[in-house]
Amino acid sequence: MTAVPYDGHGYEHGELVSLEESRDPLWYKRAVFYEVLIRGFADSNGDGTGDIRGLTGKLDYLQWLGVDCIWLLPIYESPLRDGGYDISDFVKILPEFGDLGDFVHLVDEAHKRGMRIIADLVMNHTSDEHPWFKASRADPEGQFGDYYVWSDTQLSYSDARIIFVDTEQSNWSWDPVREQYYWHRFFSHQPDLNYENPEVQTAMIEVLKFWLDLGIDGFRLDAVPYLFEEEGTICENLKPTHDYLKRVRREVDELYPDRVLLAEANQWPADVVEYFGDDDECQMAFHFPLMPRLFMAVRRESRYPISEILANTPAIPSNCQWGIFLRNHDELTLEMVTDEERDYMYSEYAKDPRMKANVGIRRRLAPLLDNDHGQVKLFTGLLLSLPGSPVLYYGDEIGMGDNIYLGDRDGVRTPMQWNADRNAGFSQADPQKLYLPVVLDPVYGYQALNVDAQTRSSTSLLNWTRRMIGIRKQHPVFGMGAYAELGSSNPSVLAFLREFGDDRVLCVNNLSRFPQPVELDLRRFEGSTPVELSGLVPFPRVGELPYLLTLPGHGFMWFALRPEEEQ
Amino acid sequence: MNATVSAEVADLLQAWFPDQRWFGGKGRALRGVQVESSVVLPDTADAFVQHVLLRVQSDDGSVDRYQLLLGRRTGELPQRLAHAVIGVADGATVYDAVHDTDATSSLLRLIGVGDRLETVRFTTDVHDLDLTLTSRVVAAEQSNTSIVYGEHYILKLFRRLQPGLNPDLEVTRALAGLGSPHVAPVLAWIEGEVEGQLTTLAMMQPFLSNASEGWAMATASVRDLFDEADLHADEVGGDFAGESERLGTATAEVHLLLAQAFPSRTAGPDECRATADQLHERLDAALALVADLTPFAGALRAVYAQVGALTDSVPVQRIHGDYHLGQVLRTLDGWFLLDFEGEPARPLADRTALMSPLRDVAGMLRSFDYAARHLLAERAGEQHLAYRAAEWAEHNKSAFCAGYARAAGSDPREASTLLRAFELDKAVYEVVYEARNRPSWLPIPLGSIARIVEQDQ
Repeated sequence: MTAVPYDGHGYEHGELVSLEESRDPLWYKRAVFYEVLIRGFADSNGDGTGDIRGLTGKLDYLQWLGVDCIWLLPIYESPLRDGGYDISDFVKILPEFGDLGDFVHLVDEAHKRGMRIIADLVMNHTSDEHPWFKASRADPEGQFGDYYVWSDTQLSYSDARIIFVDTEQSNWSWDPVREQYYWHRFFSHQPDLNYENPEVQTAMIEVLKFWLDLGIDGFRLDAVPYLFEEEGTICENLKPTHDYLKRVRREVDELYPDRVLLAEANQWPADVVEYFGDDDECQMAFHFPLMPRLFMAVRRESRYPISEILANTPAIPSNCQWGIFLRNHDELTLEMVTDEERDYMYSEYAKDPRMKANVGIRRRLAPLLDNDHGQVKLFTGLLLSLPGSPVLYYGDEIGMGDNIYLGDRDGVRTPMQWNADRNAGFSQADPQKLYLPVVLDPVYGYQALNVDAQTRSSTSLLNWTRRMIGIRKQHPVFGMGAYAELGSSNPSVLAFLREFGDDRVLCVNNLSRFPQPVELDLRRFEGSTPVELSGLVPFPRVGELPYLLTLPGHGFMWFALRPEEEQ
Repeated sequence: MNATVSAEVADLLQAWFPDQRWFGGKGRALRGVQVESSVVLPDTADAFVQHVLLRVQSDDGSVDRYQLLLGRRTGELPQRLAHAVIGVADGATVYDAVHDTDATSSLLRLIGVGDRLETVRFTTDVHDLDLTLTSRVVAAEQSNTSIVYGEHYILKLFRRLQPGLNPDLEVTRALAGLGSPHVAPVLAWIEGEVEGQLTTLAMMQPFLSNASEGWAMATASVRDLFDEADLHADEVGGDFAGESERLGTATAEVHLLLAQAFPSRTAGPDECRATADQLHERLDAALALVADLTPFAGALRAVYAQVGALTDSVPVQRIHGDYHLGQVLRTLDGWFLLDFEGEPARPLADRTALMSPLRDVAGMLRSFDYAARHLLAERAGEQHLAYRAAEWAEHNKSAFCAGYARAAGSDPREASTLLRAFELDKAVYEVVYEARNRPSWLPIPLGSIARIVEQDQ
């Protein structure tokens, strides 16, 4: 692989195969995902807010970085009372982001570069400003009268928990127009669609097909556990919900053979696996508890938090895949875990404010790790080598900072820092017009910390991340292979083997700040030569005695285990 | 074939024995090594391997018994056995055959079929052992030698033998039989005859391949604390208290099952007086050896006297007997306890006697102290570290006791007189040990004694 430096003016490539020529139904198992906030990535028209055209202009950068699939947060028309998860028109783009033409152009340009696009889509509810809801309240007998869950009382489904306990008192709200209560699992301005109604089921599949016809490569299906309600249950994870997802998968597979459905089910892995079905529901789901466990393990200098969670993660169908991440816009809350896990998390977390912050969404990766690039690299190395497809959060590849004074979620949603120009190169607008201010502080400020500067330094975090992604892509084992932990007596070292046919990679991670030795039992590979993947340096051959490695503090190494060669 | 060993081999062994880690008679000259019994292992390929029971006599007249896998090969010795060579005798190379996979594979096959070689018996509770696994020897063990087969089984050979059932086998089987989640079940064992008594030679358990010693984890935590400038033990990333608390709970759960599996009763004032007498006697012996202990003698005796004056009844039962952070393993399924043999140097009757479980608690509390302070031996003069070490030890001891209380129903710190006396007794033992073996570590137990008696005043 030749290293072509990204020069900010388009990436001349000769070796790429566009997607049309390389249909691969399992692409998502090998892919590196990149979560983009359109609003914060690049502003093409100078209005102070990022847009689709802006993102399209940065595709060369993402391709250069090694991204395979861009994950977009909601792009649809919305009153934006819940970050766009309150959709008021499923088939229109939010005007400040652009229009459908811009979106089709984005998809085409991404596909030309061998990249894919997936987007969030909320299945469970709409905004109360959606025309369906307006019609439903106005005319109970009309076409949309039965599109939502209406009731004369608030008595039904009383076992369902209230998710946003701090803002909502009930899952039912009174509608003065229709003079009935309507059901909502989230905010009261987000009425739940009535999936008992076959027309709703079909209408939502039509929505999916609309976007699939425009070329989108898949969806993250939001809030899927709540589609159906049933008296006497908690109204989550019900069988009709799974049956409907199977139908969605069937209809998508029939017409669009290489698309992916990612379930948003912020739950424990043992429960989430239900959304893989028998490889006949969603192909992907996020592994939520892994992320806090990674932080706990490095903080404790002990591998057990990671080892335990992976040992307790059920097997999934062979064509399915976990999505794993270090940071994204979602969080795991202690309410979602088993009693035993909650005890464990409390005993480890409750007394440690720092650890609680790690579970939350308020910090970016670099500030969370005190800007210690050794740790940032260790975490990134784990993200790229543990089982699952890695999801990078925009800006973390350059170690961007956050702005805690912006409050809960906005602190990690500041503009992408492209260069040292005005507004970090994000926008030509008057700086006061930006949707959020750029980060200006002395450590993380855009003047020094930006894509442009890091592109030019071969030792930058950006170039390092790109090289590691490149190594990952040369070894399908990282996405496709089996995972087996190799025990050792050193609690601070996490060693594991990824194996996919003849492709075997040994990953050894020092979770401690101090140098550590480790002895590994590699007798199964006696005679083979471990080759370190970043420099292709051959290490001593594996013999019958334990294999000794030493790692610097927070160091990690990946080795290909080459079979014994004929002398 | 000759089933015993020649005089030439016996001479080799006499020279080789004192250098072995597991040899218990350090400091004493050997008068002689005799073979009491030996059997030949079948199907050991090019090697001739005997299992031998040896009678080892020291100059002071004491007699100990050891077992050995004695290998002999003619011709060129494979490179992998070079480190196990004992010497050359009768035209063959003689070596310690626990390192020879041909020998250990033969042992595993004997175990798998439940065979018997003359007086040596192999017993297994399991029918589907994988008998094809090859072995390696676990490095760095003190009194025994463990052989790991594949990544599945670990066979512990008790090197020095005392006639009778080994408490490790007895206790582990009993705990596993009651469903304890804190021990690895026994898969098989080997017995032989020593002084006419059926004697445990070895036991096999599932190998806990992804496990770490409590000591390694605790010291990782201490190292992390020492590296922070101004954070307290409960604030640093490497805080170990969660693990300590779970370890305390596991300890109490094992104690409860031990009381269920074996006899238990309460001891009255007479026994408390006898216990106090023992404590005084051990102190007398220590004072005679280590002058540094003298300034604390009065305070120590005062604590022991309180034990002698106890009028409460004290619960006694079977306990671990040699409990410290090196005897516990953190696994993916929580804490496991190992090595229920008690202190191997003591007579068997002592090791199976009913005692207060507070002795185990005291052992672990002392171990927390050691974990906190052993790094200080290299860094004397860094006063602030000593302060932080003390803070770490208190923080984790407290968590351990709280976890223990959660399962036991009462906090061991409530029985403060006994617990303090047992901690001091352990520390006195450590003083003697360090004075003999590691004088630079002597300040660790001495400092602990000073602190404990200070709290008492």
